Amino acid sequence: MQDDLKTEQLARVNIYALVSRILMSEVDETLLNLIITDENILSFFPSFEKWDKRKNMSNKDLIEKQLNVDFTNLFLLHLIPYESFYLREDQQMETGGDNPVQALYSNFDFIVELDKARVMSADHIGIELEFMHMLCESEFKALQDGEDKIAGEIAEIQYNFLKEHLLEWAPMFLLNVKSEAGTALYFDAADLALEFMLSDFEYLTALKENGYNYPKGDA
Amino acid sequence: MYLQSRRTFLKGAAFSVAGVAIARGVFSTDAIAQSVTESKFTNTPDNIAFYPEHKDWDNFQELDGTDWKRGGIGRHGVKSAENPNGIEVNNFMLVPTVCSNCEAGCGLTAWVNKDTMTVRKYMGNPLHTGSRGRNCAKGYAVTSQMYDPDRIPFPLKRAPGSKRGEGKWVRVTWDEAMSEIGKKMHDTLKVGDEMSKKLMMYHVGRPNENGFGHRVPHTMGIDGFNSHTNICSAGARQGSIQWANDDRNSPDWGNADLIFLQSSHAADAGHYFQQSAGLIADARKRGAKMVVLDPRMSNSAGMADLWIPAWPGTETALYLYLANRVLNEKDKNGENFVAHDFVKEWLNWDRLMDNKDYLQKMVGYGYISKMPTGDTYEDFIKLAQELYAPYTKEFVVKECKLEGMEHKLDALWEMYIDAGDKIATYLWRSGPIANRGGWMITRAGFLTLALRGALRGDIGGTSWHHWHELSVAGKGDKATVAGEAAPKVDVWNEIAWPPEFPLSTYEMSHIMPHLLMDDAWQEKWIAKGLNVPRKLAVWFPRMYNPVWINPDGFRWIEALKDEKRIEMSFNLSPTWSETNWYCDYILPTGLSGERNDQQSTPSKPEQRIEFRQAVLRVAAEKMGWKAKNPARATLEAHMKYGLGEIWEETEFWANIMVHHIDPDGSLGIRKFWASKKDPSRAVTVPEYFDAALSLLPRLKETAQRMYKNDEFPVYSYLRDHGAWTEKTNVYKPQEEELEFDGETYIAEGKKYSKEQVVKDKFGTLWIEADGIKKSIGIEINGKLHEGFHTLSKKLEFFSEWFAEWKWPEYAIPIYPRNESEYKKMEHVVTHIHHSMMKAPNEFALNTVFRLPYNIHTRSVNSKHLMEISQNHNPVWIYTKDAEKLGIKRGDAIRVNITDTVSELESGYFVAMAVPTEATRPGVLACSHHAGRWKLKDSVNIPGFEHALGIMGVGAPRYEMTNDGKVGTLKPVAGIKPRHDVWQFKEYNKDLDNIWWDGLSGSWQNAVAPSHPDPIAGNHAWNHKVIIEKAKAGDKIGDIVVNYENNMKIFQAWRDKLTRPLAVGDTLRRPQHIGRPAVPLSNKAYAVEIKA
Repeated sequence: MQDDLKTEQLARVNIYALVSRILMSEVDETLLNLIITDENILSFFPSFEKWDKRKNMSNKDLIEKQLNVDFTNLFLLHLIPYESFYLREDQQMETGGDNPVQALYSNFDFIVELDKARVMSADHIGIELEFMHMLCESEFKALQDGEDKIAGEIAEIQYNFLKEHLLEWAPMFLLNVKSEAGTALYFDAADLALEFMLSDFEYLTALKENGYNYPKGDA
Repeated sequence: MYLQSRRTFLKGAAFSVAGVAIARGVFSTDAIAQSVTESKFTNTPDNIAFYPEHKDWDNFQELDGTDWKRGGIGRHGVKSAENPNGIEVNNFMLVPTVCSNCEAGCGLTAWVNKDTMTVRKYMGNPLHTGSRGRNCAKGYAVTSQMYDPDRIPFPLKRAPGSKRGEGKWVRVTWDEAMSEIGKKMHDTLKVGDEMSKKLMMYHVGRPNENGFGHRVPHTMGIDGFNSHTNICSAGARQGSIQWANDDRNSPDWGNADLIFLQSSHAADAGHYFQQSAGLIADARKRGAKMVVLDPRMSNSAGMADLWIPAWPGTETALYLYLANRVLNEKDKNGENFVAHDFVKEWLNWDRLMDNKDYLQKMVGYGYISKMPTGDTYEDFIKLAQELYAPYTKEFVVKECKLEGMEHKLDALWEMYIDAGDKIATYLWRSGPIANRGGWMITRAGFLTLALRGALRGDIGGTSWHHWHELSVAGKGDKATVAGEAAPKVDVWNEIAWPPEFPLSTYEMSHIMPHLLMDDAWQEKWIAKGLNVPRKLAVWFPRMYNPVWINPDGFRWIEALKDEKRIEMSFNLSPTWSETNWYCDYILPTGLSGERNDQQSTPSKPEQRIEFRQAVLRVAAEKMGWKAKNPARATLEAHMKYGLGEIWEETEFWANIMVHHIDPDGSLGIRKFWASKKDPSRAVTVPEYFDAALSLLPRLKETAQRMYKNDEFPVYSYLRDHGAWTEKTNVYKPQEEELEFDGETYIAEGKKYSKEQVVKDKFGTLWIEADGIKKSIGIEINGKLHEGFHTLSKKLEFFSEWFAEWKWPEYAIPIYPRNESEYKKMEHVVTHIHHSMMKAPNEFALNTVFRLPYNIHTRSVNSKHLMEISQNHNPVWIYTKDAEKLGIKRGDAIRVNITDTVSELESGYFVAMAVPTEATRPGVLACSHHAGRWKLKDSVNIPGFEHALGIMGVGAPRYEMTNDGKVGTLKPVAGIKPRHDVWQFKEYNKDLDNIWWDGLSGSWQNAVAPSHPDPIAGNHAWNHKVIIEKAKAGDKIGDIVVNYENNMKIFQAWRDKLTRPLAVGDTLRRPQHIGRPAVPLSNKAYAVEIKA
């Protein structure tokens, strides 16, 4: 696999993983430590990097008194991080098996462990982003195995999933998060997720227009 | 970093940890697919308001909710012996009941798991035409209240030898408690003199039922009812009584074109939230406008078409400004905006114009410049035009401090005029209860509606609650040996209704401890010939927590601890409370699904009842269980099915009356509570409520048809349905024809021969009964109508009786027109008027707004409600005010309460400041509904293996000092994760995940002195405060109270502002407005005051 392609794919795998994790569940000390100590990750959180409270509070206090409180406000109490809420006329959440996103996962034999995720349904922002992460990882493996055709098929699934699902609603939700966030971390996380998705859709669109022909080069 | 280059994201490839390790990893592919084609269960209900058909309520199977997150039956199939990992199926019985968390009385269904006999969840009741199957957070939280880990499991008694407030308790049985309490009550009543009928006080918190509570003191022949209403909504009710002799108004939200809210009450949190909010939402969807008049931007104000943040307590000026424009401006046809057809027929302008003495007084007050030239309707309009002309836009902008917001008044005018007579409002707490003279806000507010015809009670307008409510809970007499209601009570209790407050809307509950401890006051009135009680033999609150929620809490503590002033006390209380701590007995009673009550809430123009019931008892009985003693079935069911020794008032009172207070019938009480069917025992719930509910004719007819084989068909109907709507579309009820066949009039079910009836010159029809003149109807333009509930049978713009009862200058809607009148008319000027704020750190404190998720005392330990409410009660301060004082978000500030009548200081509370644009300049906001406290985390009961937790998820622990003069409270510890749950474990697995070190607010109520309004009697809740930054050692939650000063402040309000009964007065109070709870005889009303 060409180096640039490898970098691109790895970045996609990792960033989808990162944003899905942050937007799905409360931050724990392991994750917070990773964000703070990994300068590449921290660079995606410019406001958080400069945030007084981050510098002045212990990680435990930061999590318990700031970040988790904000998470609760943003994801559990005041905003509704579910696709069905944004896309259904009646603004109701579809929590059962008739959820179209759940059905889509099922088509690929994927099951969401909702109890592990601690979310109400499979069209949660964090779940959809983790789905993208998994697809990217599968695509990456296919590319590593030289299965460009399979990789292309997976990329097309990604394109469609972004177009038909995530981009239909997540930008609205993430702009709301930016507007309502009480901590720099969630402001930045929403910004990152939004920017990255839009950028990634451009990338996938270009790939699609190119007939899913990946650049060739040295392995 | 919008639109970063793609290159930026490539840094993602260089993360030190691979994405796979960062991702949560919630996808799996090991699906255990199982065919569910045979199953009747679907993956997703059709809609969120999903309820099974009523015919299936007794036996309804539903997949367990906690398993939905596992993916529904598509994943694991249905649980069975062969498939132990499948989703569990609940065999439910849906038992209807009614929420008891607020006065709205929304329908609930308890989903009783028939295998475990536990309630798995509470949902709405789709058969309840007010709540329509919906509930607010408090409704769904009933499960967490029912299975509260700190639920008091059995009756407690103060440990012998200990003092009240020491926190030492022993376990007693209900029978032991009833025996000891019953004996004390028996011995008190046995004396039989006048005083014996004044020495017991039943002090009811939010009743959420319609009349049963009144029956308790009534059947005992005592003037011993005390309510919470004078700290709740009595100000507004005073204005309603003067206009319509009705307790409150009743809007038709759903059909209105203008929703006019003074405060956010109906749409945010209060009367009758959820039902009203739903109807308001319906109206707005249809295009109705919404205006919110409130110094604070509530949730409602935030989504209203117009928010007008008038200075609190000055709203009267704004209403009279609207009246001025209606009367004096011309429409495009050159006519003014008055709905003449309605005003001419239905306002008592004729009596005003006929009362030359009063008109002369109006000239004397300067209200009008000269006597009217005639007494026609047109003359009245001219008078009104002059009367209200001073309330100009310039005036109201200055008076309500709306500088810069003049455009809002224009917008209000347009909405108000455009809506015609389709204006719905509910003038309730907020301004009318929070300010001295707040009742005048209601007087003026209703004037604006009356002038536009919106008080006609027609579609989309505003009517009166009497017509939209059915109260039969106190009328189950036919099931008892007596077979009829008890006679009127012959005594007047000065502690409940002191002579300074003859017109008080409700009992003067908030000054009960003050009066009990004020020897000089008692002696003064004894010298004037009144037989004033100097103690209470028994004080027994019901679901009431005055120590915490009433003003001047330390005075309550002093009184409750004084065993000479209050000889015995017991609280019928579903939860631990601050008040319980100082009582002799805590008798644990039921919540929403554990009680038996009839309720009726006027949330729309219909007549509906709801029936609250003990759902475990009902479920068990429907499954064939029979109580050993049918008169104690609820208690037996709760004990049998693991809820604990939890009882409720209907059965409790019947039993204690029959077996303990009057066991041999010698006091004449027993017969009102003994069963007609079996006089050896107390009346049962089915017997009593079948008799009471049978008073509704349509219900009775329907129930007898549907349950023809049942012994108690009406009870059976309500048992199975939970609600009944007797009549819909109740519009313009005052216009109902008064029945007259040429010989006999029929009014309110009673017949009067034409010889008995006298028509006066205004068309009002009068009869005389029991020595009292009473009006029964009115003739208008040759037609007979039932009319309003007033003496004149019209809406009373001019309150003639009010003028006669010493307050003539306020007998019409009026307000000072300039600064020089503030002092002269101080009774209708708020005690926190902006003219009283002299320094930059002096503010009005707006305390009267409810938090939508809390309801005073009873929701204290509902873990879900407390979790979302904790630390949510900061002091709101306008951004620029905060800037001037150097106050930033999160700063601790001292809020010093000061009184503008006595000029005395009360002390301070420390709270967190939050600068915000959502409160107006000069006005702070901090709800008085928060700030719970406890002194111990738990108590040990001798012989019981578990410590009883005290408000373990609801209140932080504090340290208290009080020396009779100064009281302090300081927070010590917040809520900690719990691992000690011994009861209801299944429902409380998450307690180890609940903790908070913050507070639920400061106990500001203790700092607040009682401010009895000199006319309406209610506590005027707002305060003038002086704020400063917290000092070293201060902690949010601290309070320091000079409650010796608070006593003097209360006395200043009582003695400087009221016009007490005096020599020559012959009545305690106008008899036609009556007393709200217990009917009193002429003898009780009669009074003679000595010089």
